[in-house]
Amino acid sequence: MFGLVHLVPGDPIRLALGTRFDQETYDALRARAGLDQPLVEQFFGWAGRALRGDLGVSFRTGETVTSLISERLPATLTLAVASILVALLIAVPLGTLSALRPRSVVDRVATVLSQIGISVPEFWMAIVLILVFAGTLGWLPSGGYVPLTEDPAGWAQRLLMPAVVTGVVSGSVITRFVRSSVLEALGADHVRTAQAKGLPARQVFTWHVLRNALLPLVTVTGVQLAYLLSGVVVVEIVFSWPGLGQLALQAVQSRDYPVLQGAILLFAVVFLLINLVVDLLYTAIDPRIRR
Amino acid sequence: MRSNRLLPLLAAGALVLSACGGGGESVDTGTGGGGGGGGGGGGTLVAAVSAQPDQFDPHVTTAYPSFQVLENVYDTLVVPNAEDLTMEPSLAESWETSEDQLTWTFALRDGVTFHDGSTFDSADVVYSYRRIIDEQLSNSFRFQNVTAVEAPDPRTVVIRLSQPTPNLLERIGSFKGMAILPENAAEDLDLTTDANGTGPFQLESSDASSTVLTAYADHWGGAPTVDGVEFRYITEPAAALTALQNGEVQWTDNVPPQQIESLGGDDTVELQTTPSVDYWYLSMNYARPPFDNRDVRRAISFAIDREAVAEAAWFGAAQPNQTAIPEDSFFHTDYAPFQPDPDQARQLLEQAGVQTPLTMGLMVTDEFPETVTAAQVIASQLEPIGIDVEIETLDFATWLDRQGQGDFDAFYLGWLGNLDPAAYYQEQHQTDGPNNYQGYSNPQVDQLLQAGATETDEAARKQVYDQAAQIIVDDVSYLYLYNPDVVQAWAPGLSGYQIRADKAINFETVELP
Repeated sequence: MFGLVHLVPGDPIRLALGTRFDQETYDALRARAGLDQPLVEQFFGWAGRALRGDLGVSFRTGETVTSLISERLPATLTLAVASILVALLIAVPLGTLSALRPRSVVDRVATVLSQIGISVPEFWMAIVLILVFAGTLGWLPSGGYVPLTEDPAGWAQRLLMPAVVTGVVSGSVITRFVRSSVLEALGADHVRTAQAKGLPARQVFTWHVLRNALLPLVTVTGVQLAYLLSGVVVVEIVFSWPGLGQLALQAVQSRDYPVLQGAILLFAVVFLLINLVVDLLYTAIDPRIRR
Repeated sequence: MRSNRLLPLLAAGALVLSACGGGGESVDTGTGGGGGGGGGGGGTLVAAVSAQPDQFDPHVTTAYPSFQVLENVYDTLVVPNAEDLTMEPSLAESWETSEDQLTWTFALRDGVTFHDGSTFDSADVVYSYRRIIDEQLSNSFRFQNVTAVEAPDPRTVVIRLSQPTPNLLERIGSFKGMAILPENAAEDLDLTTDANGTGPFQLESSDASSTVLTAYADHWGGAPTVDGVEFRYITEPAAALTALQNGEVQWTDNVPPQQIESLGGDDTVELQTTPSVDYWYLSMNYARPPFDNRDVRRAISFAIDREAVAEAAWFGAAQPNQTAIPEDSFFHTDYAPFQPDPDQARQLLEQAGVQTPLTMGLMVTDEFPETVTAAQVIASQLEPIGIDVEIETLDFATWLDRQGQGDFDAFYLGWLGNLDPAAYYQEQHQTDGPNNYQGYSNPQVDQLLQAGATETDEAARKQVYDQAAQIIVDDVSYLYLYNPDVVQAWAPGLSGYQIRADKAINFETVELP
């Protein structure tokens, strides 16, 4: 990953200076950033410091990478969690309903809606929401972020539109998983047995169907959450949401290697952590796995 | 593009604005500051800008979003006049030049204090300039001809030169990259996140959402009218315009270009445009035949309809120009030899003995998305004369790499923020000039540019640059396309703000509706 970041063509110093500068200035800046060292040396230097929690200093802003990331982490966490909630609120009822009545009108409508949710560009949906709810109706601010602790109402108002946009997209993906896993569970032998025993439909559903359908749901939700935590660039930009996606994008554009490496490291750790949590949840949901 | 000074910064570019919001209250504006009015003094102005400043060290940053803020925090010895961009006093009250033009003596203003209360004097000027020179910071090229910066007494600064430098004032005052910091500022505070200037506003705070300035009551020019300014970053132009229209912000330079025309008649927004000092151009690689052939380059120049290119790029908010310097400038050269003429273009190609179809790679960058669109128009204009344009859209970092390596047939970019004709022409067209990526070399032009750089009589200087510009245009060293407009918008009733051709944003005298 380190090599990859450095292999991308483009020179951060050149980019920072633009084209009007002299060679001495360029050399001086390159040396200051440590870019005149061999790549292998740069890597071991970085890895050694990273182990001690020092991710370096941004070429672009002169601030430490850890402070840049921690400044943006709350906004990203907020949006990711809110989006997953929106997604589940959409996906679980919609997916279940369509699985319970396959090929019914409800099922078809749900399928079409989730297809639309997956295909509509986030960018477009975001702009439409802004124009309608911030522009025409004037009910919500057009974007931005305020910490929950500073202004809870403002926080919620600003969170609503971005969470809906990302939630709809993730929710559409999850809906399909819910539908197919509920369908699969419905057809399982133990469900037929439970129905044959004359258990009430509600009990069959919650105890025998839903719980079994939960495993794939947890998996796909985990994947979606990891994706959301690594930053949703388009939505962050349109709603002026100061998350990690914007930071990573700026870092790529300016070839700000320290920030980019720090962000990628964080995303990798987040992914591992979420996988771990998902695995632990498995054991909680399905006692058979514990054995 | 390169901008002279602000390169990537500008890159980020974009101007937008919109203003709107009559009376607006509607939505709560959240982050402290809030929209407008109220408060003891003049309230807080909320300005929507398109990007976050990268950092606040004026001598280090090259980013336009940083300079939007720094313009209000720091001062320079001299400053471009808002009307015609000629240099006028700022921290220096007056100056005189020696007979041989090699010594400039500046008399500094009295009673100026930095935001921390310390007094401004000549040692601060020497410190600031030495910092740029000694640490080889990005603007050190501006001191090329400077041999010494001296402070004979606290109110006097002397700059000694190795050759007459008629554009010295432009070099030290055209933007806040040449800001005066207090002596030892780099040791005393972290200039990347902190600031201590002499400007009308103090840097209060900055985070990933906005940068907040507060009025500096003891400013030498008098306290600003508003209590403070909040620069809020809204990257998406449609969102910035909406924020202006519903009253969340009172000023923006992030206006969707396609809406400029319709906003003219919108009374919820006060929209203003003025031609900028930026210019955009196409340049061909002299090291790659057949683009080394003057006739081929002239053929391409005859085939391009600059009006249509400007329209595609900026929806009409740009002035086609066959030279670099915009019409409003004293140094503008009225010269436009290329009217769109495909027949003449074909004839020139034939004369050059070029086999058509000829393939030409045209390098553009998505950093400036409008150039990607406009490149398609150029391609369609060159197709009828037998030139097959392959548009290469690159990210800016890769783009700059390839430009530096000379790995291109042609590219399309702009230069931003130029004030002096030397900045417009010298580095780009002089043989071996640092920015002569195309590889142009014409001894006559070299001679003229040399003469212009040291000619101290303005009229004579203009004549020299007029001549140089005409040859450069005839040779098609650069194929000049247009000067885009500065486009800004604000809430109706906002006053005391002046839109400027150099895109400096100064809120010192702004008054909220």
